[in-house]
Amino acid sequence: MNQIARFGMVLGVICLLATLVLALTYQVTKPKIEEQLKKEEQAALKAISPYTDSFREKSIDGINYFEALKGGKLQGYCLRITANGYSGFIRLMAGIDLNGIITGVRVLEQQETPGLGARIDEVRPGENAPWFLRQFRGKDSRNLEVKKSIDAITGATISSRAVTEGITKAVVEFLSNIHKGK
Amino acid sequence: MRLFREFIKGLWRENPTFRMMLGLCPTLAVSTSVSNGLGMGIAATFVLTGSSLMVSLVRKVIPDKVRIPCFIVIIATFVTITDLFIKAFTPALGRSLGIYIPLIVVNCIVLGRAEAFASKRGPFESMIDAIGMGIGFTLALMLISAIREAAGSGSIAGIYFSKSFEAPLFMVLAPGALLTIGVLIGFMNYIFIKKKER
Amino acid sequence: MNGMSAYLTIFISTVFVNNFILSRFLGLCPFIGVSKQIKPALSMGIAVTFVTTMAALITWPIYNFILIPYGLEYLRTIVFILVIASFVQFVEIVIQKKTPSLYKAFGIYLALITTNCAVLGVTVLNTDTFFVSGAAVAGSFIKSVVQGFGAGAGFTLAMILMAGIRERLEFADVPGCFKDIPITFIVASLMSLAFLGFSGFKI
Repeated sequence: MNQIARFGMVLGVICLLATLVLALTYQVTKPKIEEQLKKEEQAALKAISPYTDSFREKSIDGINYFEALKGGKLQGYCLRITANGYSGFIRLMAGIDLNGIITGVRVLEQQETPGLGARIDEVRPGENAPWFLRQFRGKDSRNLEVKKSIDAITGATISSRAVTEGITKAVVEFLSNIHKGK
Repeated sequence: MRLFREFIKGLWRENPTFRMMLGLCPTLAVSTSVSNGLGMGIAATFVLTGSSLMVSLVRKVIPDKVRIPCFIVIIATFVTITDLFIKAFTPALGRSLGIYIPLIVVNCIVLGRAEAFASKRGPFESMIDAIGMGIGFTLALMLISAIREAAGSGSIAGIYFSKSFEAPLFMVLAPGALLTIGVLIGFMNYIFIKKKER
Repeated sequence: MNGMSAYLTIFISTVFVNNFILSRFLGLCPFIGVSKQIKPALSMGIAVTFVTTMAALITWPIYNFILIPYGLEYLRTIVFILVIASFVQFVEIVIQKKTPSLYKAFGIYLALITTNCAVLGVTVLNTDTFFVSGAAVAGSFIKSVVQGFGAGAGFTLAMILMAGIRERLEFADVPGCFKDIPITFIVASLMSLAFLGFSGFKI
């Protein structure tokens, strides 16, 4: 019995020290980690709303969104969208103008199959934006459909559909909330 | 001189990947591009060095029967520190390496060196052994990554060879990894057999 | 995506499409080490499946009800590996005492399973796949257990297939430097290539 107590104590002390070290590390790195997430968000916002100069974060019905402003005037909105991809969740940001026309889409996080679904994010050498997402620009967000208004990626129908349907669903719900609020 | 030999053995004769076949899970998963391979190598070397040092420092205090759980806690602590630092300073690398960062905990190299070396030798020696093994691991990773990236995406470290090169995609997918390491280990065996014959 | 079809999809994709060994490379050490004959391969597979399922079952409530509410997600690695190590140790002791015959069959494999990447891998994967922005998704618990079971099942499948091939490989004329391990990897790469054919498979 005495042996087990000794074992337990040694292990316990080590765990305690470990937890202290980690808690400290966490406190030190936490602000930097949040800063990184903010940076990524800002970059995405700028990319999907090219003719605006500032963003204001607001909330409706518990869901956060961004108002895109130019010179203080409302130009459109930016939404965070989580779509059901093939191998997990796809986190997106989509920008729309006041008429519901898409101004840009960016993928923040995805775990799709490399070479297939992951190509939703792919940037061709020499270009500076994902080619698959470019086709969303200028289209009516409430009327997106793979094969009709959107070309899917060969061999990645599910990922392509996930993005398309995710955007449509989120925008339709958002716009109805906004109009109800008004 | 003896210390130098401890350092060198991890690079070639006792290379953890090609000769001792430890830590293969992350090696194959992460070696899709040279930058990923390098990133994982550095992360693993940090964990390896830190935990070997720690284990060696406390080796006299830990009772033999609970040593494995204690080693695991020490290793897991360093892995979590690495994970947090990567998220804070190089988030893109964190996204590429994904779940394989926490999996450094069960990387046989780390636990293996703690058990076989650090728990029996002094701290400075253990550190040298760990760094040597870590660098050997990193070199192996970069070799495999270079082959897979060049064959599978037509680039090395993100620099593309030519726009019209249609790369066999499977090289950066799972089969390519297994094929590459199978051929490389076979090749290494050949080299060592030839050396013995001389 | 909910209900029976969701769980079936997760199971099928974990066993075939994203097979833990042939696609994610989790559990390679025993795959290379224990796959020489079918019987030990099957035993190892069953032991691993038991541990992965139980690990998923135990770690989910810990993550959802303790780590998240207290903002301790960063402790996930260390907590999970401790839970897994303790569970495996506990199971080993129980089996040794209660059913020595079972211990004779599975005992040695159990000790190796703690450091099996597949076990820690599936628990970490569960928290990445079935939690979004710090909250569990619908059916998260069952989905996690299904993925845990699927991880083990896929592992077992790959082990048995490889063992079957290696039993026959004994009679093949393999060049000296490729004998044993290198040829196993090359065979595995062909198996992995075959399993790639399951990509895009969704119910």
